[in-house]
Amino acid sequence: MKPPAPRIERENWSPEMVAEFKRRQRGRNWALLAVLAGFCIIIYAVAVVKLHEYGQMW
Amino acid sequence: MSETLVLESAELGATAADWVALLKPRVMTLVVYSGAIGLVVAPVHMNPILAVTAIICVAVGAGAAGAINMWYDRDIDAVMRRTASRPVAAGRIEPASALGFGVVLGIASVLLMAVVANGVAAGILALSIAFYVFIYTMWLKRLTPQNIVIGGAAGAFPPLIGWAAATGSIAMLPALMFAIIFFWTPPHFWSLSLYASEDYKRAGVPMLPVVKGARHTRVAVFVYTLILLLVSLVPYWLGLAGRIYGGSALLLGGAFVYYAWGVLQDRQDRLGNSLSKDMPARGAFKYSLLYLFLLFGALAIDRLA
Repeated sequence: MKPPAPRIERENWSPEMVAEFKRRQRGRNWALLAVLAGFCIIIYAVAVVKLHEYGQMW
Repeated sequence: MSETLVLESAELGATAADWVALLKPRVMTLVVYSGAIGLVVAPVHMNPILAVTAIICVAVGAGAAGAINMWYDRDIDAVMRRTASRPVAAGRIEPASALGFGVVLGIASVLLMAVVANGVAAGILALSIAFYVFIYTMWLKRLTPQNIVIGGAAGAFPPLIGWAAATGSIAMLPALMFAIIFFWTPPHFWSLSLYASEDYKRAGVPMLPVVKGARHTRVAVFVYTLILLLVSLVPYWLGLAGRIYGGSALLLGGAFVYYAWGVLQDRQDRLGNSLSKDMPARGAFKYSLLYLFLLFGALAIDRLA
């Protein structure tokens, strides 16, 4: 049987506060995804340029 | 906003915008701009992808220093109106999280700079972060009214980093760009501190108007602006920049002296406190931002023309 998902929000939070908490959490997750994707693109682009500079590619 | 709502807001955690605010994006704008100009005026062409990545490293390094600054200064930020809503001071981000965020980003930016550009640029970037955190934030800011003068060096490093990223060395022109930002910082910040001195006094930060008074600060703003005008003309006198830059430096610097003269001549009481709600100081602060933007822009145009 699947265990229940952990509850992060507090017991005394109103439904509006829970919704706001989840909205903020979602926003942070998307921002982190964007940062990680940007970092991967940078590393990829830098690697291509460096390899090209040293004549080891194409 | 009521106290209850603020507490609830803090309890609900930070937004993505709070984490961005931790990097002091407005300061970052100036850092990116001056770093990019340092890179553009360098005599060596740099691959655009590496150049953009190097500038991102400068921006992230500056942001990391800003995050660590907000971690260390959270006590005084909380009592100053201008900074009370910062994410750590307002309780939306845990202090330890801000510190970890800053340290990780700082190390990552220096390492990436070393890979993308060279060890000289990475070393100066590391030095600038360390200078801002240890020399300015932790040592000078709460100790002496000269905090801005010496600490201003931290914000003056980006043109050196940009130049070093392209060339792998340091030369006279980026050193003069460093000097321009170094002498620009005191009139810029002291103009601000003239109308925010109550905030600084409440927080116990020994800014010049708090320790020496408004009258002394007005004189200091004017003197440093005169020095800035002279320093900004040195690249032209040494033949490192042409007439476009020389003329711009004279005009823009002359206008800055005019604003500083206004600060000096502001209607004031016996102690030098403004009777005009510091309108001239507000004007000088705003103009100082435009001044640096246009001056460095003129230098880039002059070198590329």
